[in-house]
Amino acid sequence: MRITAEAKSATRQRVLQAAMNLFVSDGWQHTTTRGIAVAAGIATGTLFNYFPTKEAIAAALMAEALERAYEEFHSNCSGENSLEADLFSLIWSGLRSLRQLRKCLGPASDTIFSPLARHSPDSPGDALRVNHLELVETVLTSHGFPAPRPAVTMQLYWTLYLGVFAYWAADDSPGQEDTLALLDQSLLLFVASLSLDQGRGTNGRQ
Amino acid sequence: MDVSELIAALPEDDSSSTVSAAWAQERLRGILADIAQRPVPAGSLHRLWTLSELSTQIALAYLALWVRRWFTDAEAGKRRLMETNLRMALKTFHRLGYLRGAMTKLGQAAGNLPGILPNQVAETLDRLHCEAPPMHYPLIREVVRNEFGKEADEVFLSFEKEAFAAASLGQVHRARLKSGEPVAVKIQYPGIARTIDADFRNLSALVLPLRLGKAWESQKAQFEEIRRMLNQEVDYLQEAESQRLAGELFRPEDGIVVPRVHREYSGKRVLTTDYVEGLHLADYLATNPTQASRNAFGTKIYVAWIRMYFAFMTHGDPHPGNYLFHSDGRLSLIDFGCVQHYGPEERELVRLAEKMAFEDRALTREVVQRACGLVANDPEIEDYVHMMEESCDWMMEPVRQPGAFDFGDGAHFQRGVEWFSRVLRKGQVRAHPMYVYWNRSVFGFKALLFRLRAQVDVHAVLRQERRR
Repeated sequence: MRITAEAKSATRQRVLQAAMNLFVSDGWQHTTTRGIAVAAGIATGTLFNYFPTKEAIAAALMAEALERAYEEFHSNCSGENSLEADLFSLIWSGLRSLRQLRKCLGPASDTIFSPLARHSPDSPGDALRVNHLELVETVLTSHGFPAPRPAVTMQLYWTLYLGVFAYWAADDSPGQEDTLALLDQSLLLFVASLSLDQGRGTNGRQ
Repeated sequence: MDVSELIAALPEDDSSSTVSAAWAQERLRGILADIAQRPVPAGSLHRLWTLSELSTQIALAYLALWVRRWFTDAEAGKRRLMETNLRMALKTFHRLGYLRGAMTKLGQAAGNLPGILPNQVAETLDRLHCEAPPMHYPLIREVVRNEFGKEADEVFLSFEKEAFAAASLGQVHRARLKSGEPVAVKIQYPGIARTIDADFRNLSALVLPLRLGKAWESQKAQFEEIRRMLNQEVDYLQEAESQRLAGELFRPEDGIVVPRVHREYSGKRVLTTDYVEGLHLADYLATNPTQASRNAFGTKIYVAWIRMYFAFMTHGDPHPGNYLFHSDGRLSLIDFGCVQHYGPEERELVRLAEKMAFEDRALTREVVQRACGLVANDPEIEDYVHMMEESCDWMMEPVRQPGAFDFGDGAHFQRGVEWFSRVLRKGQVRAHPMYVYWNRSVFGFKALLFRLRAQVDVHAVLRQERRR
């Protein structure tokens, strides 16, 4: 039984590694689940036991990279930074960890982060979204913005995040410096909205 | 501060007051008030807005000063066209968060003309030179990583996370090289450089039609020169080269310091130089220095300017934030982003103008033709000759006076401002593009000497510098 679990895990990793190589070399559009299965040395049908779709493979690759990035963020978090600086570090460390896949993630994220698929149990992006927003909640709380937050706050955050993500995926500026500026200014906007909410309470407009 | 208050605080048109001048002022105030009513994000957007909004407002006010004069003389139809263009231009100015570099530069130029703007505005801008809004360290870290492929604390022995000074396009951090040497590391806000061309295309499409006329071609070239210089300014490798060239002009006995550039620690967006500690002008003046000390610093400022000029370089941005006053009497020059280097054509022009000024006034007509692009029978040539003579007289005032010239004499500075205002009012703006920064440089360093209340023996300095 233990061997089977290990073998499963090994196969899963082989699939992910093969997919990563193909995404990087052939791009999103030209990579197929059949091609991934061949490169991983398994039958196409077997691949579907692990991942139902190509998007699910991409989401799994993202989840693995982001997990490492968020661990790095936590270990570097000194508690001395401003809220903007912490959110910036959180997001940018995530984006940096996805750098190899950047060109693929633009088209992939159309499906992965589709707002219409959000509540579907099969949505490969939902876990990513939930995980990311939980981290953001933690950061906000550590900076004195206790829950519950107005629903619109996290929606605004996620909208800005997706905007930055989409821009980054297609950003050809050196070192994605344009995304750096966009992220910085998006976070200024978000933090400003938090202050406005705090200033007028959570009961509505004044 | 409301823009309309700034406009109201500007000096009245010094030509005879007319109804149309009042009308123009009122219309302008209305337009600006309208734009100012756009909702501005709250205090937390401090970093984004403190610099861009303030400097934009100052720049608008500065722009309005000139525009008001054009309004005064225009026919009604043309006036409406101008107003439309102006409205669009102002809206564009207001939206250009990214153009904060260019806006700041405009703001600085305005702040350095104390004769034109109220003192408190000039002082606010002074602070702006030194207190641009900060980038947080995680952002800094990425800019450094983009430049060197390594973390700041891998590139340097140590790197202070908090900036100690602001530059208009970024900020400056203290650090130590692996050798232990203390250095200043200037970091540029990401993405600014790449937006300049695009922003300029938008801006020129809106602003240039304001001044359709004979000067059109000349003004296009001048606008292009501003674009070129701004692009130069955001390339720290070019700044490093200007700083190296300037540094070669000065010896320790001059008491003028140009911090050494560390090229291996510099790139297009990061500039590392020796760290120098000193006071900015306002802090130096707050120590209530003696007249002798002011004169000594004033002389060094003049020597630095004229020596670079004789080496065919003009510091196009001699505002107070670019000078550090040391307690031992040395003066440091700390920013070489905006240095104009003269090519063969400009050098020839400069030599000819110098000959006109020092030896042969009969050359004025030739200088006008070449410097302003006029043909011999241009109907405006006599006006331009007169303008050039006035300019020459003003420039030579400090030279002709035997002994020390008192740059603290407001009348001298005011005469220069009045000359410049007349030139703009009459629309005598046909000029070689090099004069955009030349004028800014001359007014900048004279404004600096004016605020320093320095007395400088210009004659003696020139004698010494020409012998070199």
